[in-house]
Amino acid sequence: MSSNRNITNLQLGEEATISEFSNGHVASKLMAMGLLPGAGISLIRKSPFGGAYYVKAKNHYVALRSNEAENVLLTNG
Amino acid sequence: MADALKKIALLGNPNAGKSSLFNQLTGLRQKVGNFPGVTVERKSGFTKLDGKTEVEIIDLPGTYSLYPTSLDERIAVNALIDLNNQDYPDAIIYIADVTNLERHLLLLTQISDLNLPIVVALNMNDIAAQQNITCDEQKLSKEIGIDVIKINGRNGEGVDIIKLKIMQLLNENKSSNTANHFYTLNEIEENLAQEISNIIPVRNNYNALLIAHHAKKIGFLNDEKKNALQHLITEQKFNSLNNQLDEIMQRYQRFSPIVQSVLSKSFSNAKTLTDKIDFVVTNRFFGPLIFFSIMFFMFQSIFAWSTIPMDFIDEQFAALATFLHQHLPENLFTKLLTEGLIPGVSGILVFVPQITILFLLITLLEEIGYMARAVYMFDNIMQKFGLNGRSIVSLISGGACAIPAIMSTRTISNWKERLITIMVTPLISCSARIPVFAILIGFVVPSFKIGFLNSQGLVFMALYLIGIAAALIASFVFKKILKAEEFSFLMLELPEYRKPHWKNVFYTLYEKVSAFVFGAGKVILIVSLVLWFLASYGPTHKMQEAENVAKIEATLLNLDQQQTALRIASKKLENSYAGYAGRFVEPIIKPLGFDWKIGIALITSFAAREVFVGTISTLYSIGKDANNLTIKQKLQQEKNAEGKPVFTMAVALSLILFYLFAMQCVSTLATVHRETKSWKWPVIQFLYMTGTAYVVSFITYQFLK
Repeated sequence: MSSNRNITNLQLGEEATISEFSNGHVASKLMAMGLLPGAGISLIRKSPFGGAYYVKAKNHYVALRSNEAENVLLTNG
Repeated sequence: MADALKKIALLGNPNAGKSSLFNQLTGLRQKVGNFPGVTVERKSGFTKLDGKTEVEIIDLPGTYSLYPTSLDERIAVNALIDLNNQDYPDAIIYIADVTNLERHLLLLTQISDLNLPIVVALNMNDIAAQQNITCDEQKLSKEIGIDVIKINGRNGEGVDIIKLKIMQLLNENKSSNTANHFYTLNEIEENLAQEISNIIPVRNNYNALLIAHHAKKIGFLNDEKKNALQHLITEQKFNSLNNQLDEIMQRYQRFSPIVQSVLSKSFSNAKTLTDKIDFVVTNRFFGPLIFFSIMFFMFQSIFAWSTIPMDFIDEQFAALATFLHQHLPENLFTKLLTEGLIPGVSGILVFVPQITILFLLITLLEEIGYMARAVYMFDNIMQKFGLNGRSIVSLISGGACAIPAIMSTRTISNWKERLITIMVTPLISCSARIPVFAILIGFVVPSFKIGFLNSQGLVFMALYLIGIAAALIASFVFKKILKAEEFSFLMLELPEYRKPHWKNVFYTLYEKVSAFVFGAGKVILIVSLVLWFLASYGPTHKMQEAENVAKIEATLLNLDQQQTALRIASKKLENSYAGYAGRFVEPIIKPLGFDWKIGIALITSFAAREVFVGTISTLYSIGKDANNLTIKQKLQQEKNAEGKPVFTMAVALSLILFYLFAMQCVSTLATVHRETKSWKWPVIQFLYMTGTAYVVSFITYQFLK
């Protein structure tokens, strides 16, 4: 698809679909936690002091550091 | 005989309700140890399956898959892939949360490919029912080929059926047989697994494949086998990470349809209670505000609620000592009992109220799911100092007492981050420093008002801030020195908010408090006995001489009975072994402005910092019931050999800073030893903290004198 958008590019409340992961270790862990390519994801919050992202995918709530969030690539819709 | 017990592993994802089920199965028949060679806690317990067949239940660390990212997750994997592992299970109870069924099937299908007897305990059906969702567990059982039992971890429903199922599995020797059902090994994996099974004992090909995946971190093979394994991996051009991802995808593709067919409808992603709570609780502004309010409340309650039970314990033991002293014959045994043993035990138990309150609050926050939010909010800041989001809770608890604070670091899974937290927490000014500061602060600054603030209050606050700053600087230094053994991840699940499970809270409290009393307590007791001996005994003739001199002086000065007793106690302490030790260290502490009497107090206050006040009172013949003001006035009159005051502003400030930085607490060191399973870290902690204290006090005194 289009751009190389990732979780850190999302606006608060914006929804997108996970297209792929650009880091295998992040992929392995997040997929095991239930975040799979094709799953819808939305950004709920950024942490008060920066550096961490709080996302929701299906009924899973997950917190990510920015270097982890960068590896979750997205397509729109 | 104990070794013949069958081992049942309890396994599941984090937040699936594993500890509730563990507590339901074992009750108080639990023991906490360590997995061999690592600092990961090994919890196990015993239960009777059918009223007579006893088995050991091992609570394996929670993990999302057999591809672990942290040390404790790796423990779970090792127990399942190494046939010679002491915890290799005879059967597995797999706990799954029906509200997250899809994700929880990943690990289940992985372990069922290992051909072990498994029963699935399906939990959280009540929460699913609230959303009008039901799960057809018989259909699920048929589809995956494993027994599925609905349970309720909170009230124990279904737990007896689980036990009977396990009994049945053990008797029939029936293993799961799902190999190739959810994942088919590709050609490279198949070949590699075959080759590996020729050199390493394995249960099946999937077991062999997992050994290949974990080749780099495998602890249970000798070098020769490790090399052979590595050789095979290179020869077959096996790419672990790619194969992992393929495997996970393939499994999801095969079991996702099953999940859809067994659930009456799927869980919606509509706004839940959790979303609503987190809208406020993780808010950019309210989030930190709520966090600090909770911490402030925690800090207050540790102080406020614990005073009464602490005083009560103190008084009861003092009364007991007095009672025994009056009713037992005066001999060595009585003295040991009333002056050594009873104060020693009292010195351990007096911490119990604080530890209980702190852990009650921490466990509650953990149980309802708040802790993960705090970690998420503060992770970034803590990272900069080599700490973890969870460290902030320990650091704040350290303001009450370092002992429970250090024990609370167990929730930090990354070892380096946990170790740094342990090392720096005692720099935060604890409650035991307050009496010391309170006595000495008057010598540093007189009490006056600056606006509505009190001058001494400001100095107090400055001391706390210096402690916090020192802890952060020390963390930063440790971060640069220590090397990480594993990746540091956040990727943290924020579990849905839930009502606390009081039974879990109770078991956690019971475990933590008994760990302190019987673990650290032993060391504290021994050290306080030694210090009591040193302060009460000296070379016999010297002690006798001291008593005689004191009596003569008392007669000359026309002192009353009470003052005479105080004078004798003071002279005796001066001539005790502790007195000699004080004179021995005097040349070392002289540059800090301390004389040998302060030296004695430094030594005796190793038992606990507040002992400083008691020792100083004895040394200067101040009665035990004297208040701070009397002690202060007495100290002000104290002159050295040249007739100059002992407690000048320079000495007092130097002493305050010494107590601020120095590792003056054996109880903390004993706890650090217990938590790190080595003497290396408490020794390093003692050296760096007391070293810093020495340098700071040296500079302060030399500059101000």
